[in-house]
Amino acid sequence: MDSHARFAQARYRNLDRFLCSLVRLLPASGYTTLLVQEVQIDMNVPQGNFPHESPDPGRWLDDHGDYLFKYAVFRLRDNTAAEDAVQETFLAALKAYKEFQGRASERTWLVGILKHKIIDHFRRADREAPLGEESDDGPEHREFFERPGPWQGHWNTNYAPNEWHATPAELIERNDFWKVFDDCLSPLPQRTASAFTLREVDGLKSEEICEILSIKVNNLWVMLHRARLHLRNCLELNWFTREE
Amino acid sequence: MALKFYDKLKHSIRYWLLRRLPTCQQTVEKISQSMERSLSLRERINLKLHLWICAWCQWYLEHLHLIRETARAKAGDAPDFVSGGGLSNEARERIRRRLTNQN
Repeated sequence: MDSHARFAQARYRNLDRFLCSLVRLLPASGYTTLLVQEVQIDMNVPQGNFPHESPDPGRWLDDHGDYLFKYAVFRLRDNTAAEDAVQETFLAALKAYKEFQGRASERTWLVGILKHKIIDHFRRADREAPLGEESDDGPEHREFFERPGPWQGHWNTNYAPNEWHATPAELIERNDFWKVFDDCLSPLPQRTASAFTLREVDGLKSEEICEILSIKVNNLWVMLHRARLHLRNCLELNWFTREE
Repeated sequence: MALKFYDKLKHSIRYWLLRRLPTCQQTVEKISQSMERSLSLRERINLKLHLWICAWCQWYLEHLHLIRETARAKAGDAPDFVSGGGLSNEARERIRRRLTNQN
């Protein structure tokens, strides 16, 4: 590849990033997607040597269906919603096939679409939620800090943290750890668990999550705090102290 | 003798501080918030002092960071731990039908 082509490619990579941030900022709508497609066609993206001339959704489903489903289920915590998100992703991928020129791997591209579909789902779920109802942010776990006498409010020794001997690198490899992780999140209210995954797994900013779930930032902090308190204790009981 | 005196001193400083600082319950909430925003100077001092004398909260902080680091490292990877393993046959067929209709 000559230097000119490399430069052109790098430029389009930046454009991609810019467009992605644009889409994240604007409220998700068909219009934004349309806009992005138009801009990309406008910019005359170079035609890559792409192996498949026409889209093959059947093969997509075989190759990436399970992966996308697992990706969605971990975040949405709901099988039906995850199936819908996967279906919508494939449909959107069919429509937007022109925009994908084999620059990224097929899976990365599909996951990118799926991310938006998942966020759309959170927005929708929030709009459909009954208004005026006192929302549940998760268990407060006051018992963790119940102590008789002057030390009320400090750790109760039954629940106090222990030392963990683990590094992220070794935990990532353990599938059974992620099973425990998932089980520990399930007793939390849906919204709290969603906020937690968006923040800690996907690394979205607080403001972005507030906008997606349409909640106040103080409310988000309370939700995250309760999720962390619960998850940390649950992981310690079911994983870190169990192993020894 | 000197060692014993030093231990006693440490002990009393620890207790003196623990009685005056925010409780663990309040500190744990601040630890969580410290991952979301920058704390005010007063909050930071209180937190630092508390962590200095409380191993439990110190561990709590380390655990939260470990969880975050682990979760973020997993974000791009195949999440293989989900029960069920993948799409159910019924859902797979439904999506396949929908896609062929579209095509």
